[in-house]
Amino acid sequence: MSSRRSTRLLVVLVVLALLSLVPFAGAQEPIKIGLQAPITGPWAYEGEMAYNCVKIVADWINAAGGILGRPVQIVLGDDQGQPQQSALAAQRMVSERVVAVVGTYGSSVNDPAAAIYERNKIVNVAYGSTAETLTQQGRKYFFRTCFRDDKQGEFFANFAVDVLGAKRIAIIHDNTTFGKGLAEAALRPLQAQTKAEVVFYDAITPGERDFTAILGRMSLTNPDVVYFTGYYAEAGLIIRQMRTMSIAATFVGGNAAVNDEFVKIAGLDVAKGALMTQEPMPTDLEYPESKAFIEEYVRRHGAPPSSPWPVYAADAFKVICAAIEATGSTNSETLMNYLHDGLKDYPGITGPISFDANGDREGAIYLAYEVFGEGDFRPRR
Amino acid sequence: MSNGHDIQKTPTANSALAKARTSRMSTSSTTLFLAILAAVLIVLPFVASDYWIDVCVFWGINALLSLSLNIILGEVGLFNMGHSAFYAIGAYTTAILSQRFGINLWILMVLSGLTAALAGYILTAPIMHLRGDYLLVVTIGLNEMIRITLINNPFGLTGGPNGLLVLDQFRIFGKVIQTPRDFYVLVWACVAVLLFSLFRLQRSRIGRAWNYVREDPVAAESTGVDTRWAKALAFTIGAGIAGATGTIYAAKMMVISPDSFTFAASVMLFAIVILGGTGSIPGVILASGAMLVLPEVLRDFARYRMLFFGLAMVLMMIFRPQGLWPSTRWTTKMRESGGK
Amino acid sequence: MVFFLNQMINGLTVGAVYALVALGYTMVYGVMRLINFAHGEFFMIGSYLGYTTLVMVLADSGLPLWLMLLIATAASTVGVAILGVSVEQVAYRPLRKSGRLAAVVSALGVSQFLQNAAMLVWGARYQAYPPWSAPEATWRVASVNISFMQVLIMAVSLLLMVGLYMFVQRTTAGTAIRATAIDHDTARLMGINVDHVIRLIFIIGPALGAIAGVLLGLYYRQIHFSVGWSYGLKAFTAAILGGIGNIPGAMLGGLLLGILEMLGAGYISAAWKDVMVFLILILLLIFRPTGLLGERVAEKV
Repeated sequence: MSSRRSTRLLVVLVVLALLSLVPFAGAQEPIKIGLQAPITGPWAYEGEMAYNCVKIVADWINAAGGILGRPVQIVLGDDQGQPQQSALAAQRMVSERVVAVVGTYGSSVNDPAAAIYERNKIVNVAYGSTAETLTQQGRKYFFRTCFRDDKQGEFFANFAVDVLGAKRIAIIHDNTTFGKGLAEAALRPLQAQTKAEVVFYDAITPGERDFTAILGRMSLTNPDVVYFTGYYAEAGLIIRQMRTMSIAATFVGGNAAVNDEFVKIAGLDVAKGALMTQEPMPTDLEYPESKAFIEEYVRRHGAPPSSPWPVYAADAFKVICAAIEATGSTNSETLMNYLHDGLKDYPGITGPISFDANGDREGAIYLAYEVFGEGDFRPRR
Repeated sequence: MSNGHDIQKTPTANSALAKARTSRMSTSSTTLFLAILAAVLIVLPFVASDYWIDVCVFWGINALLSLSLNIILGEVGLFNMGHSAFYAIGAYTTAILSQRFGINLWILMVLSGLTAALAGYILTAPIMHLRGDYLLVVTIGLNEMIRITLINNPFGLTGGPNGLLVLDQFRIFGKVIQTPRDFYVLVWACVAVLLFSLFRLQRSRIGRAWNYVREDPVAAESTGVDTRWAKALAFTIGAGIAGATGTIYAAKMMVISPDSFTFAASVMLFAIVILGGTGSIPGVILASGAMLVLPEVLRDFARYRMLFFGLAMVLMMIFRPQGLWPSTRWTTKMRESGGK
Repeated sequence: MVFFLNQMINGLTVGAVYALVALGYTMVYGVMRLINFAHGEFFMIGSYLGYTTLVMVLADSGLPLWLMLLIATAASTVGVAILGVSVEQVAYRPLRKSGRLAAVVSALGVSQFLQNAAMLVWGARYQAYPPWSAPEATWRVASVNISFMQVLIMAVSLLLMVGLYMFVQRTTAGTAIRATAIDHDTARLMGINVDHVIRLIFIIGPALGAIAGVLLGLYYRQIHFSVGWSYGLKAFTAAILGGIGNIPGAMLGGLLLGILEMLGAGYISAAWKDVMVFLILILLLIFRPTGLLGERVAEKV
């Protein structure tokens, strides 16, 4: 009987929750939260996955009755992965009077938007912008759920020296905001220690396909580990051309190199054994929140997200909602203060989340991935 | 191989009379266009949201850039497909000097304009004599050289791929120019000043010399026009205006990075001037707005957007090579002076 | 020294491909005075067509590899040649009397169109030639590395270039091309059908581009819709280096550009490589505007 009563209660609750979504007069006004992401343009697939992730969180929250009794509503802003469009998308968020914003993906795209949010005092939580400079400008309203490049750089330095036992390290980047940032972040800790030295440091041009010249010059310095911090398309070519030129050094890629295309371009025989430093892939997350979330994602879209970033967007959305819930307020300053000081070890999909005074996420979780026999990436044990 | 195609280079001469018939109407229609534009722009801040005001700010910036390219490409017919290089030089001059010496932005606007103008002169002086399409390739090269240099961060000046911050703001009588509406007024006031100067310029000796050089450089030379000087002047002025616009852009964005000054941006400006109608001021203003608004409207077709854009360029050249709003000034002048 | 020789071999390989693509630019320019900005896209689509033929049609055919590659190359060449002729028909022919600017803009439009069409057809992501399609053999001669693909690329390019040169110099059709390049009207007076010549140019140029596309696809494996533009720009630079409108010039320019790039990236800096390439181009145009072997390019006559 008690179970029947609780079932009935549940039905009533669900009906009420559904009713609360119907915008009739007197209904609670939704809480608008922005998602600024590259919905079109070269990174469109990243933007789409981010939206899918945020949508799941929003649906779950609304199904459970919303926040403060009000439903949440996603306001989508497309920045096309371009700085100017990013400024426009940010301005659109301001005009829409959103409470807070999730976004965006690219670092150099994020900067102009963060400046606009800061001026208009809107909390914005980036999910894929890892450049160090973003949090070094004294912005109060900027946060990010992803980790900074320098933390990955440090991870590589330790991994290369202590785990791989490297003595002579070559670093190649691709002159993008991201690639160069990561390369510099890896260079610094390596220069500060004496067990290994950086023997080569140069950049390639993204979009090119022949790297034999730079690799030839690199081979003269006899490196035992090569760290490439650019994207998968060039990473695949570089490792293949290295092997063709009989350069035997261990290849380590940054997190932008992790992609199935890397294996396709390099060829399985060559790619096998290549290492990558990166955040845990969504399917390798082992928190209680992550399992349920990834299951739901697979149920809706057929496959898990193919990159780590979209899940950070879901987490950004979650912390914003948590802050509204905890403070009972949609006031920007209150939310900002809570995220800086109040939020401690929030159980996110990507692990516990706390922000430091700069808006950076505390701690850092990186893994070394290895390409295995079938061309799949697995954490290296 | 000599120029086998010179005969085809001056289609204007044949159609001049036909066009001239409509020229008087067209002059007044330019005035009408500017009146309508002014009216719309004045009413807009009272009805539009900040977002659309912001769209119009970027429209204004695009218009400034396209108008400056129009001097080079439209008035003199020099194929410059690297215009965003000058824009970049202006924006970076502003960012570097503002960051290091805290110079007032109004002064920097002048300085950036002068730097870009100087760069425009020095960089293009040695290549000015090249035939049109070679010039096009060289300017593409210049654009790439400057962009790569900005990325490579020489002497730690340009901040590499991250770019630079611009924290200072324009101030006018103590008021800080900050909101989209402030910028809206600033940008369109600049457009108005530029338009006024351009109309003056077009009617001056220089303007006529430019058009003459475009239509027939050999004849221009033979009547005493120093074509080299005329071309250099166009490049210098065009680059200078783009450079000064760079200051506004830097202040508006607060962050500048090499991503904003790609070759694709130059192609866009080139297309704006051609599609608008080379040498036609109303056409260029219209096209620079259309380039910004159309993607917003066509959002649902985002994947097909650039496909249509390419197709439109081809169709436009086949069916309406004179552009959306063709310039008729040159033909008017010919009529008045008794034809060629 | 070993390093130098390695760079030379790499440079010659890349240069041979630049040269093949540059030939397309130079022939169109020679005859029509048009920079065919869409030419790089022919090269890119050639790469994709070869890939599709190999993966979709031939993968399970059981034919020997050399035959499969031959068929794929032939299919791609025919496909791109048809495309080339259609582009000329649709986008350039109506503009022949409209002046240069119109044609250049139209070419840019075609380039945008083809790039985006390729993106819609084959997707925005990278595609890769299957591993079995490209022979991997590498030889080490006195510690200098040279791979089978490098030899193949150089040999095929050389063969095609010599063949083209003979064709243009020795045959009637070649003579017609050369005559048309000098002056359309005079050529017409001599009974040459200029339209046919232009059509022929738009078969040969894109076909060479397609072969280069397949070769490069096999060499690097990775293909993407954006490569047409970057290779196009480089190849065009090569054509100017050698002297545009001049067939041996395009070959020389291509090889030279490939070597310059490799030596620049090898000895100086990969990050500054493109700046050096364009700097050389500009200096060349200032001090020897005719290109190495070519005609005058300055405007004043």
